[in-house]
Amino acid sequence: MSDMTDMRADQFEDVALYALGVLPDADAARVRALIEGDADLRREYEELRGAADSVAFAAEGPVDSARSARMRERLLATVRADAAGSTSGVARRRIGPASTAWFWGTGLAAAAAIVIALTTGLQEIGLRSDLTTAQRSTTGLQTQLSVSERVAAADRRTLTDILSPDSRRLDVAHGTVIVRGRHVYFALSTLAPLQRGKTYQAWYLPKGAKAVAPSSTFVPNAQGVAIVELPIDARTVGAVALSVEPEGGSKAPTTTPIFIRPLS
Amino acid sequence: MDPGTRLMERVRTRDVAAFESLYDTYHRLVFGIALRMLADAALAEDLTQAVFLKLWSAPDAFRGGAFTAWLARVTRNRALDVIRARGARPESELPSVDVPLDSDLEDDVMAGIDARRVHEALRRLPSDQRSLIEMGFFAGVTHTEIAERTGTPLGTVKTRIRAGLRKMRSLLGEQVAS
Repeated sequence: MSDMTDMRADQFEDVALYALGVLPDADAARVRALIEGDADLRREYEELRGAADSVAFAAEGPVDSARSARMRERLLATVRADAAGSTSGVARRRIGPASTAWFWGTGLAAAAAIVIALTTGLQEIGLRSDLTTAQRSTTGLQTQLSVSERVAAADRRTLTDILSPDSRRLDVAHGTVIVRGRHVYFALSTLAPLQRGKTYQAWYLPKGAKAVAPSSTFVPNAQGVAIVELPIDARTVGAVALSVEPEGGSKAPTTTPIFIRPLS
Repeated sequence: MDPGTRLMERVRTRDVAAFESLYDTYHRLVFGIALRMLADAALAEDLTQAVFLKLWSAPDAFRGGAFTAWLARVTRNRALDVIRARGARPESELPSVDVPLDSDLEDDVMAGIDARRVHEALRRLPSDQRSLIEMGFFAGVTHTEIAERTGTPLGTVKTRIRAGLRKMRSLLGEQVAS
């Protein structure tokens, strides 16, 4: 009896893990099948999935205005071009039904001709619809491919810069600042876990300036490891620093820096 | 019906203005999830672009239900794809995030939530439950990996995640009711 109770409790816990999305494929498929065949587990899933989905909101935060505007501009340029391109297709689709109005008033031969024309027209409409769908799908795939290629290229360059013998390595608390050409990286480990609502933020001091400027925010992985490229030009920067800041980043450091490192 | 669902109905008719509103309303959420999972602003930006372009190019992928939750899951899946593309971990160690094609799970509690309410609910969770849930959601790890990384027995991880989600649900319900 106790084994049965334990097994049932296990199933409910598995449903919670499934709702949170932390099960590997094989386990997820098993739990999905359980849920489909068990009303109580299904109810549990429906309740917990909402709570799990809500966790996403914890990541919502301000996006800096320059980045937000840049993303908006790029996105809308693509969308407007696509919308303009598909307008003629929509107009063409509307022609089909209207052209059938006089179908019944004609003779058999004419009707047959119309049937053929209509069938052909419908096929054409279907094909055009398929083509439009395929074009949209292609746009999506091209975007995914472009993202993957950029990820791979960025990773390759980062690895090259970090491993290259001609890189400069500057020791700092928790790791190294690596400089190669105009690129600057933080390669850090054993960073302390962040409290909720906090993030690590990099800073840089432009040459000749008296105050630091904000750079990237980042969250290390569970082992406290982070490799971050700073979007700055090393040739124009006198020093870099790191501090813990509120999520979303700060305009000026609000805590004592973990390190400050001149690049020269 | 949430604002996202209404906007998606217009996006299906190729309404660019509706798409702009969709972006203005949801890009902070999409970018935030991407940034939290990838810890790289440039990648998060690319991912945000990809997610929104997908909404435009394949609006029928959303078939109703809670739009925000669906969008969050799509974003999370895309971020996991990027993590896979980095090749840092074997496929079998990555979690499977289910994105139901036809979500009928929208309810009053979920319809009333926003970032402030979620932050408040998470703050009120016991820290051992909160950290496991946040790690599970954002770190792209499985429950066994959570157990290994935190040094917590697997059974305890499972119990805490379930208890945490139930408590989350209850706290969000209280907030919406009040």
